[in-house]
Amino acid sequence: MNLQQLIKQLANDSTESLSWFLPEIVLCAVIMLLLLVRLFDGKQRLDLWFVAIAGSVVSFLFSQPWLVCGGGVERTEIFTGLLVIDGFTIAVRSIILLFLVLFLVFTKISGIPDSDDSPDIYTLVFGATLGMCLMVSSNHLLMIFLAIEMASVPSYALAGMLKGRKRGSEAALKYAIYGAGAAGVMLYGISLLAGLTSSAHLPTIALQLAENLGTMSGSEQLVLVLSGLLISVGLAFKLSAVPFHFWAPDVFHGSCAEVNAFLSIASKAAALGLLVRIGIGVGYVPGLEQEVAQDVEAGPAVVAGLLPVAEEAIEPIEDSVEQEVTVNEALQPVRDFIGKLIALLAMITCTFGNLAAYSQTNIKRLLAYSTIAHAGYMMMAIAPLMSSLGSDYGVAEGALSGLLLYIVVYVFMNLGAFAVVAFLRNYIASEEIADYSGMIRSRPYIVICLVLALFSLVGLPPLAGFLGKFAVFASIADAFRATDATYLLVLLLVGGVNTALSLYYYLRVAKIMVMEEPAEGVDIEQYPKAGLEAVYLVAITLPTALLIFFWNPVHAYVVDAVKALIS
Amino acid sequence: MFGLEITPVIAAITVSHYLIVGAILFVIGAVCMATKRNALGILMGIELVLNGANINFIAFGSPYLRDDNLGLDGQLISLFVIVLAAAEAAVALAIALNFYNNHNTIDIDRADELKG
Repeated sequence: MNLQQLIKQLANDSTESLSWFLPEIVLCAVIMLLLLVRLFDGKQRLDLWFVAIAGSVVSFLFSQPWLVCGGGVERTEIFTGLLVIDGFTIAVRSIILLFLVLFLVFTKISGIPDSDDSPDIYTLVFGATLGMCLMVSSNHLLMIFLAIEMASVPSYALAGMLKGRKRGSEAALKYAIYGAGAAGVMLYGISLLAGLTSSAHLPTIALQLAENLGTMSGSEQLVLVLSGLLISVGLAFKLSAVPFHFWAPDVFHGSCAEVNAFLSIASKAAALGLLVRIGIGVGYVPGLEQEVAQDVEAGPAVVAGLLPVAEEAIEPIEDSVEQEVTVNEALQPVRDFIGKLIALLAMITCTFGNLAAYSQTNIKRLLAYSTIAHAGYMMMAIAPLMSSLGSDYGVAEGALSGLLLYIVVYVFMNLGAFAVVAFLRNYIASEEIADYSGMIRSRPYIVICLVLALFSLVGLPPLAGFLGKFAVFASIADAFRATDATYLLVLLLVGGVNTALSLYYYLRVAKIMVMEEPAEGVDIEQYPKAGLEAVYLVAITLPTALLIFFWNPVHAYVVDAVKALIS
Repeated sequence: MFGLEITPVIAAITVSHYLIVGAILFVIGAVCMATKRNALGILMGIELVLNGANINFIAFGSPYLRDDNLGLDGQLISLFVIVLAAAEAAVALAIALNFYNNHNTIDIDRADELKG
């Protein structure tokens, strides 16, 4: 292949890929616009919030969440295999962009950032969102690292967004240093994995592992396990999983509730998406049957890819149909390793988060530990996915759709909780739980919304949180029945015990707000009555309260979203 | 010269030699991150870790060291990492400066107002 052909093919590939990449392109355009518009506006300050909200809505529409309905999205590798688009990518990306829209409305109502700061802050928010969209679609070790850094670096700056605050600067410093350290360690793990398999393209890595796993020497296996552990350090940091959770309570305490909402929802959703991508990417070779069928019809010339990497990926498939069985069976040890590692981390994370939340007196710290616990619940869904991926696709699909459902539910209930914290901070200038006492008398709507969000976080029926938890736990039970692996049973028990444990500290907040006398010295009456805030809170809380009535369409949607991913 | 005969080192350089250098850099960086109290010292440790990984990528990507190599991917990844390390250092230094403005120190042991 000469250079001209190569360039021609590359151009073709890029133009075909661009139509899938429109949401990201819109995000980039908005970033440029936010930076450039300020050069030209004169004395009249344009409120750039309108630019940001318009951009986020357009980006959400371009992510085309309706494409997923009916399972119509085939797995497509774009940009020569750097990124991958399928139902899962589209669904999680849409959730993140929908959250961005809700988040921008939230910041407008709560008044942080003010109009002077807002262009800078929105630039950072859009940059981080861009990284998160890449995280859920990455298919290459370079993209994984790049996307994590793109999502993290703006978040460090966001954590120190409020100027002149001692705590804010401390939170940002801690976040930046822990984050950069975790990213460095992860990169070293990535370099070992890439060197061991001589590829950075995830499906190629999976094929290489399937081929060589049986013949690897002891030291090579040791390096493989080491690289897996080092990569999990970086992912655990993004997920705030124990033992890399130290930053979460401090950062949440030091930065404002708006930033907390962003870090706790968008960043978690993206990190879970990436975890699924890596787990499936190296533990399973998707679509082998279809590609083999294509080969028979069209011959190998059609599928010969642009880069040598892509060619390598396809060559072993052409050998025979038998290989389809052996490749995915040979990867069982890899999947077991990933599944057990994640199950262990999930159990520790969940238990630790719930126990540490007991003694908290600050609502933001309490919600930080609650975020850690919920990261644990969501990671639990990955264990059944990994254990049954090669053997029982129905169970694997159930686990993945359960995770997706949990993420959808989590967006609304956690955003509701953080929105209440931000609005109450505007009224009483306090984030201590003790200062919330007797709040129901003066602001019943806000308190009811927070109580509903908290009950949903516990997982009490009939609220949405119950549905998410039920879907995840049911998939673990299914996987246990299918594979008989003891660790899944332990996982299920730990999840159940944790749900009971978490009841106390969420209810304590509700009890203080509803049952106790108002605190002395906090005169709530003198502050203005809620207007837009109440409307926003009701709009956020309604999905949490009413999801049970719309359970069927939502469930059908998440099942459609994961269909093309693993069959 | 001076009647001395200089014997050349005979063994060829292989991937493992590069990996050892990379591993040493990684360990120095990790120790630096764990023990330094100055925020800038920690950032330097992080740079060492990133460069240790970079050496690995270059060695794995070189066609002269082994046949079954990572190819151009290795070199491209290390280029991207160099740029990202610069971006990360810029943000981290700005944050460290902000911390200094508020605390008059960049000793991270003094960052103890928030207790996790």
